[in-house]
Amino acid sequence: MIEMDEKTIREKIRAYITADFIRDPDYPLADEEGIITGGMMDSFALAELAVFVENAFNVYIPDPDLTVAKMDTLNQIVARVMRDMK
Amino acid sequence: MTFNLTLIAIFTVGGFIYSLILPKSWRKWTLFIASLLAVYALQPPLLIRDMDFILPTITIFVAVFVWIATLPRTDNRLRMTIQWRDLFTMAILILLITGLAMTRHLPSEWQLLTASRPPDPFTIFLALLPIALLIILLGGAQINQPRQRLALSFIILIIIGVFIILKTESFAIGLSGWLREQTGRDASLANPLTDLNWLGFSYVAFRLIHVLRDRQTGKLPDVSLRDMLTYIIFFPSLTAGPIDRIERFQEDLSALPDMNGRDPSRIVVGSTRIVIGIFKKFVIADSLALFSLSITNAEQATNAGGMWILLYAYAFRLFFDFSGYTDIAIGIGMLFGVQLPENFNRPYLKNSITAFWQAWHITLSNWVRFYIFSPLTRTMLRWKRKPSSDVIVGIGLVATMVIIGLWHGISLTFLVWGLWHATGLFIHKMWSDRTRKWYNQFKKKQGQLRLWNWAGIFITFHFVVMGWVWFALPDLNTVFSVLGKLAGVGF
Repeated sequence: MIEMDEKTIREKIRAYITADFIRDPDYPLADEEGIITGGMMDSFALAELAVFVENAFNVYIPDPDLTVAKMDTLNQIVARVMRDMK
Repeated sequence: MTFNLTLIAIFTVGGFIYSLILPKSWRKWTLFIASLLAVYALQPPLLIRDMDFILPTITIFVAVFVWIATLPRTDNRLRMTIQWRDLFTMAILILLITGLAMTRHLPSEWQLLTASRPPDPFTIFLALLPIALLIILLGGAQINQPRQRLALSFIILIIIGVFIILKTESFAIGLSGWLREQTGRDASLANPLTDLNWLGFSYVAFRLIHVLRDRQTGKLPDVSLRDMLTYIIFFPSLTAGPIDRIERFQEDLSALPDMNGRDPSRIVVGSTRIVIGIFKKFVIADSLALFSLSITNAEQATNAGGMWILLYAYAFRLFFDFSGYTDIAIGIGMLFGVQLPENFNRPYLKNSITAFWQAWHITLSNWVRFYIFSPLTRTMLRWKRKPSSDVIVGIGLVATMVIIGLWHGISLTFLVWGLWHATGLFIHKMWSDRTRKWYNQFKKKQGQLRLWNWAGIFITFHFVVMGWVWFALPDLNTVFSVLGKLAGVGF
């Protein structure tokens, strides 16, 4: 697997969320914006995001970690992915 | 829910003594021993002899077995062996249960810790020793990880099996009749409510499955026998939740020796929660109960308006009863230094059914999300030839909500209640996915947004309230008659 830096990962996830969940690729999603609390992502979107992260970065996030408290902002999601990057 | 005012007063006074006087290093053991005794003390009396002593004992020993079975394994052996401290816990456990049985020889007005006169202590002691040994031998088997995973799946299936038997009326009657025959009682009087009312089993089962599943996925932290038992049977949340998570609970436990017992804010906030809870449960909910929907009250309604009042009263009674109970449990937990998770967040003021389910019985809906919805949808999303997202969401929601429904009792009305909510959630998901871009633009118009929001709250509340008809009434005939009367038909 090619080495990926944090910036690449962040932009990949941001692009995925704006295109697939917010359904507006031009949406200016901020790093600290509440994505789930803002009503733009739901439980199913979290499961989709987890599968996306598995395929794109080879990181498995256990189901009990897919919560609003742990995955609400882009910063939180990126930090969670980076933690388990090999 | 068997919290009464006397019990709440005892727990509260206990919490003050625990915070202010008890040596800090005794706290973890105190919680363990108090929870152990509470399993017996909270159990309601049962008509089959010794059953109200046996069922709590089974709860405890199943938890011990699950603890040993979930010890981490490496290739072919236990990674964390059973340590002296755990054997010590086991010894305390057996001695305490035997000690409880010894209260048999006290005058009956002193047998306060058990539901009825306990069985012979010598028999109990002789029975518990081989059971404990068997549990250690079986659960501590030196097996590799894949085999452990398989064994744990088997244990989960057994728990679900017991759950199905107890929650299905015909099975439970059969079982209680069989037990009556074995103990020489009249089997025709079999009644699960008086024979098999196993206190806290629904909640204990969900905590056990959480622990078992998290070992299978490698997420379970290393935990001592004492701490796991305290988690499974923690007395404020034993009867009706909240369903905590073990890694969070363990953090609180390990912070206990350093906790400032005289911290006024913790004691004041905890006591206030208890008082608020008592008011909600025993004043508001119990008053609403007088005129809330039930079979007998439903017959009294003479027009549609009256029926709606019964239904609204039911909706608020249910909320105040359960959230009041939860306030009391959380408040008592705080007095003992454990911050149990919240279960309600203004559920009737949510503007969508999705938001409602993030705010109603939160710890239960999180549980089913973690262990049913999320793994199920993730598995389907990984398939090479996966169905469309809508189909996956639909299957996931139906499975999840049906399980929440049947968890309350395996019957047709709870099944329909689950399907009703699955349908609502599905429609909301389809709608919000397709209107998200528009809604993000719409959010800028403050005035219209507020109106939209109130409309959402009104619709969501009434959707939920219509669901309660299925939840409140035991059979289809009454449900249809009440639904008809709500529409003004059938008086």
